[in-house]
Order: sequence, then structure tokens, then C-alpha cells
Amino acid sequence: MTEISLSARLRFESEVLPHLDAAYNLARWLTRDGDDAEDVVQDACMRALRYVGTLRTGGARPWFLTIVRNAFYDWVARNRPVEIAADRADAIDDATDLDALSPEQEAVRRGDAQLLSDALQALPLQFREAIVLRELEELSYRDMAHVLGVPIGTVMSRLARGRAMLRRMPSLQPVHDVVQTRRQS
Amino acid sequence: MKCDRVRPLVEPYADGELPAWRRLLLARHLIACPACAARLEETRSLRDRIRAEIPRFAAPESLRASVMAMAGGPSSRASSRSRPDYRWRWTAAGALAGSVLTMFVLFAGNAIQDRRSNEDLASVAVNAHVRATLGNQLTQVASSDQHTVKPWLSARLDYSPPVRDFAPDGFPLVGARIEYLEGRPVAVLVYRFREHNVDVFVRPNALRFGLSEPKTIRGFHVLRAEGQGMDWVAVSDAATEALAPLLRRLAEGS
Repeated sequence: MTEISLSARLRFESEVLPHLDAAYNLARWLTRDGDDAEDVVQDACMRALRYVGTLRTGGARPWFLTIVRNAFYDWVARNRPVEIAADRADAIDDATDLDALSPEQEAVRRGDAQLLSDALQALPLQFREAIVLRELEELSYRDMAHVLGVPIGTVMSRLARGRAMLRRMPSLQPVHDVVQTRRQS
Repeated sequence: MKCDRVRPLVEPYADGELPAWRRLLLARHLIACPACAARLEETRSLRDRIRAEIPRFAAPESLRASVMAMAGGPSSRASSRSRPDYRWRWTAAGALAGSVLTMFVLFAGNAIQDRRSNEDLASVAVNAHVRATLGNQLTQVASSDQHTVKPWLSARLDYSPPVRDFAPDGFPLVGARIEYLEGRPVAVLVYRFREHNVDVFVRPNALRFGLSEPKTIRGFHVLRAEGQGMDWVAVSDAATEALAPLLRRLAEGS
């Protein structure tokens, strides 16, 4: 490994490290596993240390999250190639196409997921990352576009689609609907 | 405006991402159109539920430690046997001076901002409390011993909040964790009161919590007190009358 300069280390410590929780949270929701998330974040930190010179002051959060996301996609290509194949750019169509859904995704689509966090876990990658960045990390559309590497219009449509899928959960339906369904059954 | 043209704008509106003139147009439409207004309400309530029910995972200590080591954190730097290098010292002194200045600017800026975001703080604190309860992550350090909890917090914050156990008064200390409020780490002392969990957010007076009077949000009570150079905010589903004595003891240090 090449030697990292002291100024890079100091910069990493003062500007990047404060976002370690955000990085871990993103990685945790992307990998859906604690140990895997740690691997991804460690890899991301190595990269961040190496490239901290390209960081513009003040923009550390989206910058670091972009690196985490890239590290994740490299990790997933190595470790779970199936997932990425099932989740390519045409996932927007897949999300509405019954045949293309995994059992968990199908549960969300039918509104069977019991907990909101289960529903989020089961969302296809593209929508999951959009929801996590927006609702948990509270990134602006512009920062999201930067992290996801897509235009703002695409950010908006992914968010809308992700939210629509989450809203299908039964507990999110208006109360009187649920009561009526219970009575009928 | 027509509904089908408005619909795609409702979520960006809820996200606060529309420019002012479009926001105005949309606000007018929302008054006249129950369907679009309902959609807005749906978007907002989904967001509230996501923030309340979905845990935001915090980096485990093991990860933080290994990353610190990777970056040549304080421990590994201290153990290196190299003779003193004055250039390094100057760099460090410069960085320190810079961060002191930054902290000062942040403090001053935040004091002003806090006053404006008055109402938000209570709901942010409640959301943090609910998230921690649901995610079963109330404490990152679980101990009723103040001599364990206090150093744990000091090591992770740029201030050192007073920590005391009030078990004899019915408020046993359970532990503590760190939350991020307004982008900054804040100490949270966790107490029990009968069957209730009580979160107490503590930060220095200079960073006052913007909360002028007690509030109740979704059945959670939020109270604030000042004392010992700190600002204290308690969040719990226990009754306000029960929380007040705990907060008073903490703030008065008695």
C-alpha cells in the first residue's frame, strides 16, 4: 500500500470520519447484513483515505456516501452477482412485473410485509438506496443525484416508485379499510 | 393547474425541493384539490413513519476502531517511536486552531439557527427516542455505573456531560448512547422510570436546545432544563410530572 500523507489522514479524520455512521447505515441497508456492511465501509474508508485530496471542503457527506455506494457495488459484483443481475436499470419495470419479483418483493407488492423495515429490506436495490438516502440520511435531491450518478429527474422517479411500494403495506392503508378487510375475513 | 400536471410535483413539494414560485402555485392547487392534498398527506405520514420505525444503524465500535487505526488514529500515532518532528507539530497546531475556529463559527451559527428551528427539535428528539426503542438500541454503553458511562461519552464527544445514577430516587441509570442532532453528536443518558425508558439529551449551554416549553408529540413528553453549564432535554412516554424531578436533579446536580 502506498504511504498516506499526514495531511490526508488529518483531513480524513476531521471531515470524513464524522460521517461514519451515515456510511455504515447506507452499507447496512444495501448489504442487509452487519458484517458485510463493515467490509464495505472498511473498503470505502481505504478509498476515501487515498482520494481525500479530491474532496472539496464542505461536501464530505455526499462525497463519502458516493464512495461507500461504489464500494458496495464492487462488493456485490464479487459476492452476490445474482442480486445485481436481478436489479439492473430496468428494475423500474421489473418492480411492477410479477414474474421478476423475488418472494420478499412480492410480499411487499401484495402488502404482506409486516413491518416497514421488512418492506424496505425487500425493496429492489435502486429504490431502497433512494429511500435510505432521502428519508434516513436526509440528502437533498442534488446530493442524491451526485451519489447515485443519475439526473435529478431519475432521483424523483425512483423515490416516487419506492414510496409507492412501501405504501402498499397493510398497516399504511387508511384505518377503515383495514377494519373492513378484517370483518370480511 | 391540472391535477395530472401537479401530481409529480407533490412529493418534491413534501420534500421541500420545489422552487418558491412553484411552491406557491402548488399550495394554491392543494387548497382546491382534496385528491392532491390527500396525496401530500400520505407522503408526509409515510416519511414520519419511516423516520420513527426504521432504525438508522450506527457504526459498531469495532468498525470505528479499525477505521481509526487505518487512518493512524491517536493510539497508533502515540505508540510510534519516531523522534519528535516539529513540522508535524505545527501542522497539528494549525489543524487544531482551524478546528477551534470552525467550532466557534458553528456554535455561533447554530445558536441563531436553533432559535428558528424551535419546534423541530422536540419531534427530532422524539423520533430519535422511538427509533432507538424500536431498534432495541437504547444504549451503546450499558452500565449503571457513572464512572463507566462518563468516560465512554467523553471519549466520543468534545464535551463531558455530568453523569449520575438516581436509582435511590426511582430513576436507575441504564447507560448512554450518542445521537446525531442537527448533524452533531449529542450525549443521551438513558434512565428507567418504572416500565418507561427515559432519554435525556445533554449538550453544552452554548448549543441550547430550541425548546421553549414542554411539548407532547404522539404521546411522548419532551421537557427542557438548564444547569451545570449544560442544556438538558428529557424524552419519554412517562408522565411529565414524573420526568420533571429527574430533570431538575440532573440540571441542579443535586
